[in-house]
Amino acid sequence: METETIKEAKTFVDEVAAEPGGEKINECIQCGVCSGSCPTVEWWQYPPRKIIAMIRAGKRDMVLSSTSAFNCVTCYSCMVRCPRNINPTQLIHAVEAIAEREGYKPKTPTLTLHRGLRDAMKQGRVWEFSLAMLFYFKTSLLEGIKMMPVAWDLISRGLMPLLPPKRTKKGGQEVTAIMKAVEAMQKSGGAK
Amino acid sequence: MKQYTYFPGCAMASTGKPIQASIDAVCKVLDIELKELEDWTCCGCPGESINELSATAIATRNLALAEKFQLDMVTACSCCYRNLLAAHVTYTEDPRIREQVKKALAATDLEYKGTLRVRNLVDIFVNDIGLDVIASKVQRKLNGMKVANYYGCHQTRPYGPDDFEFPVWQDQVTEALGAETVFFPLKAQCCGGTQLFSNKEMIYKLLYKILDNVEEHGGKCISSTLCPLCFTNLDANQGRIKNRDGKKFDMPVLALTQLMGIAFGLSPKDVGLNKNISPALKAVRPYLKSTAQEVLK
Repeated sequence: METETIKEAKTFVDEVAAEPGGEKINECIQCGVCSGSCPTVEWWQYPPRKIIAMIRAGKRDMVLSSTSAFNCVTCYSCMVRCPRNINPTQLIHAVEAIAEREGYKPKTPTLTLHRGLRDAMKQGRVWEFSLAMLFYFKTSLLEGIKMMPVAWDLISRGLMPLLPPKRTKKGGQEVTAIMKAVEAMQKSGGAK
Repeated sequence: MKQYTYFPGCAMASTGKPIQASIDAVCKVLDIELKELEDWTCCGCPGESINELSATAIATRNLALAEKFQLDMVTACSCCYRNLLAAHVTYTEDPRIREQVKKALAATDLEYKGTLRVRNLVDIFVNDIGLDVIASKVQRKLNGMKVANYYGCHQTRPYGPDDFEFPVWQDQVTEALGAETVFFPLKAQCCGGTQLFSNKEMIYKLLYKILDNVEEHGGKCISSTLCPLCFTNLDANQGRIKNRDGKKFDMPVLALTQLMGIAFGLSPKDVGLNKNISPALKAVRPYLKSTAQEVLK
């Protein structure tokens, strides 16, 4: 049974393989096309190919506490070029999801951003202004002040409404209910 | 009259306002009816990297709502397009995910059968309307305009149907408008998306590469994908990025539909050009006087 395989997973590579998106990790041939295709690779502490190698070598703590996965901009360049069709983009997100679930807190503002984005969905539709304000309050007010010129360009043209978007109560409630149901499933181990 | 269910996405009501205005105007000219999906919610894309399954489940809620109308669902935002399509693909192809999503959707009274077709608006322009029809509606030929078409990631990656590396549909549309298209290798490179908030230096470098590449290949303006994220990143941040000569970039950025609207004889205000932050009017001004009525005015 599925739940049993997950419980019995002893090695890190099995754990990643049980996560959606991580299934094909054992088929990687370490050719490095993913790292070569990545537009942001110079910011990664460990590039995607190396992360796969590290997962297979069982470097659990090093991988999960690294900020590397947070530099992924989800552009899918690696996915469409991967000769083994292992979908490195999804694999990197699987690593991020495991780190999030286990409470690892790599030092990067992108973690706060991704959590903020997730919470912004709960209202049904995303309200960018509050998303931005919350993000800069939680990370760095100085960065927020530096972004004021961009924000003003947008706000003065009405492109970043200060009031929440039109949204129905029912939509928001349904989204929240769906997210809660998924999280409950994941906690009980029935789904990853 | 061609009818579609329309999924605008959250950003179309804020940063995407100029794009939405131009989409409405252009679709009127091309006789396309976009029926906005009632009570749509976020596509799930923002939560995708942190929790894949919940993103899929939220997207499937929208798919289930749209399925009832038995029309293709169209979206202009590339992120919504990719996430909704990804949800459809995993739901129909992966039985394990399907069961889990069904369980999560039981929290509402919706069920998805898996029959919806999710499509991108550019796909509609090229394959349903046709380039010859688009060319026939042109009132101001954009002769001599050197347009670089920027596609971003998710319009073609990972699901296509246009080419992953060197897509061509937007180029075909701009050529139908009479403009000259400029090839530049980074036409489908990433703009950085939402990480502009958290990793500014990285995103500015990505944007620098794109803008520099356009200048290097002789592009005089960018016709951007209809994704509000790509459009805003390119449009709003130029004042903070320096080019090779140490000057600020000054590249006009128009959404594809804004360019189409101008070519169809609509006024700049009709297509939301007054809301662009980059000097978009500069690129189209030479063509505005080319219809008879405007000369008379």
